[in-house]
Amino acid sequence: MTHPDKVKHSPSMTRRQSLRLLGGVLCLSLWGIGSAGRVEAGLQPDRARLRQTMQRAYGQKGLAVLEQWFQLLDQAGQGSLAEKLTYTNDFFNRQVLWVEDPEAWGQEDYWATPLETMGHGQGDCEDYAIAKYITLLTLGVPMDKLRMIYVRARLGRSNISQAHMVLGFYVKPTSDPLILDNIISEIQPGSQRHDLTPVFSFNGQGLWTGGASQSQANPVNRLSRWRNVLSRMQAQGFGV
Amino acid sequence: MSLIKQLWLTITGVLLLTFIGSLLVGVTSSHQYIEQEIRIKNIDNTNALALSMSQMDKDPISIQLLLAAQFDTGHYQLIELIGPDGEVIDRRTASEAVSDVPAWFRHLVSFDVPAGTAVVQDGWRQYGTLHLKSQHSYAYRTLWQSTLRLTGLFGLIAVVSLALTSWLVHTIRRPLYHVVQQAQAMGERRFMTSKEPRTLELKTLVKSMNRLSLAVREMLNQETDQLEQLRRQLQHDAVTDTLNREAFLDRLANALDSEGDIASGLLIMVRVTHLTEVNQHLGHQATDQLLNQLSRMLEQLSTSPSYVGRLKGCDFALLLPGSDQSEALAAQLQQGLEQLHQSTEIALTTPAAISHYHQGQSRGQLLAQLDGALAQAENQPIGIITTQADAEAVLFTTHDDWRAALQAALQDGIELAHYPVISNQDSLLHDEVPSRLKIKDEWRTAGLFMPWISRLEMNAEFDLAVTTQALADTAQTGHPVGVNLSTQALHKGDYLTRLINLIQQHSQWAHRLWFEMPETAATQFPTEFKHLCEQLSQLGCQVGLEHVGPQFGKIEGIEDMGLHYIKLDATLSHEVLLNPTKQSLVRGMATLAHSLGIRVIAQGVQNSDTSEQLFKLGVDGVTGPGVRQDKKA
Repeated sequence: MTHPDKVKHSPSMTRRQSLRLLGGVLCLSLWGIGSAGRVEAGLQPDRARLRQTMQRAYGQKGLAVLEQWFQLLDQAGQGSLAEKLTYTNDFFNRQVLWVEDPEAWGQEDYWATPLETMGHGQGDCEDYAIAKYITLLTLGVPMDKLRMIYVRARLGRSNISQAHMVLGFYVKPTSDPLILDNIISEIQPGSQRHDLTPVFSFNGQGLWTGGASQSQANPVNRLSRWRNVLSRMQAQGFGV
Repeated sequence: MSLIKQLWLTITGVLLLTFIGSLLVGVTSSHQYIEQEIRIKNIDNTNALALSMSQMDKDPISIQLLLAAQFDTGHYQLIELIGPDGEVIDRRTASEAVSDVPAWFRHLVSFDVPAGTAVVQDGWRQYGTLHLKSQHSYAYRTLWQSTLRLTGLFGLIAVVSLALTSWLVHTIRRPLYHVVQQAQAMGERRFMTSKEPRTLELKTLVKSMNRLSLAVREMLNQETDQLEQLRRQLQHDAVTDTLNREAFLDRLANALDSEGDIASGLLIMVRVTHLTEVNQHLGHQATDQLLNQLSRMLEQLSTSPSYVGRLKGCDFALLLPGSDQSEALAAQLQQGLEQLHQSTEIALTTPAAISHYHQGQSRGQLLAQLDGALAQAENQPIGIITTQADAEAVLFTTHDDWRAALQAALQDGIELAHYPVISNQDSLLHDEVPSRLKIKDEWRTAGLFMPWISRLEMNAEFDLAVTTQALADTAQTGHPVGVNLSTQALHKGDYLTRLINLIQQHSQWAHRLWFEMPETAATQFPTEFKHLCEQLSQLGCQVGLEHVGPQFGKIEGIEDMGLHYIKLDATLSHEVLLNPTKQSLVRGMATLAHSLGIRVIAQGVQNSDTSEQLFKLGVDGVTGPGVRQDKKA
């Protein structure tokens, strides 16, 4: 486990310095105390790797969707915050067919990575939320403004409720969040969504810090569903 | 650095490395595991608490209660709820309570686990951020204790390994030590073989050493054999393997000059007349065989030490020191000659003459006398003439008279003559002190009475009396003295005990006593002689052999006897100046003796030139008529 930043920033390092650095790195790795790298603004997806993964898993069709996603990133990257939110929300609501997990993945509550969601062309609510969350992070939206929110959703006018997940965008922690949802494709403030009752929210903070240093090989990651999907994303090349 | 030390260092080093290595691995993996557990606990508990708080009314009291309940019943270092604007809504902290873990250890393994973070929702809005840190000081203790346990365990393993190592070192060291001992023993000319160890390399070493030991022993034996061969060439007649004329006459002169019990005895001469005709009749080979037969017969006439020599082609002589039984001998000789005659095809004439000899007689006169007797005997085929002893040389005629006279003389006391033994540094090694007894109002030399002392078996009393006198002498003169002990001393009851008691009474002079015995003592009674050597050496005395011939290397166990010196037979120093073969013989003997750690003294040295020659040949000391100490050392 080396520290690429440090090495990169001191190209004319003296021999002694590099020895000291090497010693420090060895020491750290020996004791398992790796300093976790901070998350920088915006994820840096490894497009080549993503393409490779997509090609292998979903073939040409998946690859086409991925290319569109790259296009979205390129276009929305130039745009305003509102455009980023809208484009992202629309992209996934359009590309992905809403199904329940067992239909899409053959298992209850499978959390798919954006790549899997795009490749498959279908997913359930958390797959939408995750895909949008990752896309917005990639577009440079700060993480502390994005939260995935567990909500109780009342469908239509019936009294049937179901567990649902949406992505919330907070201008400030105390403000009314903008909700990116797949039931109602239009972005609306939370206070206007009378069909939704928020229960709990989370994002990658806290977990994220470990993300860079915790490899997918770490079996503990698989135990938590959220960390599991983060690990898979990292492996697929999302630059998480 | 010694090999053993290196081995120790290596093993200790390896142990230490293993210890540090496994300590590092053990502590590191525990550390990682614990850190991970704490991280997971932080995250999970934060989320659980935030979830509970999200579900309830955001009444400050309820929030506080919930937080306090969680904090008080759990193991936490910190739980805090921070409002969206950074203000603290509630916070509980506990000290990092680590009691019995050294600070340096905590510092070394310090855990760096981020606090768990979760957001408490209030509807769509965020109510606050929850931070939670678990109490992990117990982990330091666990880690510390496991380190201590590991150290303890390693200590135990180290003790066991070091015990094994010392056993290993011992098994290496023991054969090495034996090899060193073996090499040292070889330096002292003792040849032993040691047991082969099981370790391959050491086995090879020990094997080679054993082989070397045997080879050197073999070499020394060969050297001895060569000396013996040389002596035979020099002193023996080629045909009959008896002494040649010169050797025999040396031997006779030696006896006539002796102060010991060989100073009187019998001399026999046998002649094969008309040897030329016999040779013509029988042929060369058969004649040689006849002469050989005669020689063997003469050698077997007596059981005590005797010397057969061929004086001329037809004249054979037998010297029997110490014997006085001329009649019995004559009868035996008669019988022997008769057998010889019967076994020969042609008629022989073998006259013989028997004569007593005694100390101080002239050799030429003695031989002439025998020659005359032979001439008388020649007219019979087997004529044996016994010449009567000199009337004036005969003091007493019966054994009883002799015994009485000797006992009386011993009562009167012994006088000691002094002949110095001089080293090559011209210092005095010791005085030879032949004894004198007053018999018939005259001080008589040992050559006169010693044969009688032996015949009457009075050696024990005599030797003790001489030793007593020698002790008194050395106390007076301050010179070391050489005392002759008789061979009988070796196997006669309490003799040795009495001798030792006597020396112990004067133990302050013991180191000045040089005891010597004839070479035959060591050849005939090696075990007893070795015992005597040990006993006397313990008291501080020197022990040696006299009249030593070139075969002394062959004496069984000579290297183990602890012998201090030998006195060469006087015949060896006789005419050593003129005889190169004799010189090689003496040089060989000196080398051999020195290799056994034995000093060599030449006897019967006639003049200073001979002394010098002998010193050049490696002799350590000389004594004899031509030796006196010029300068006092």
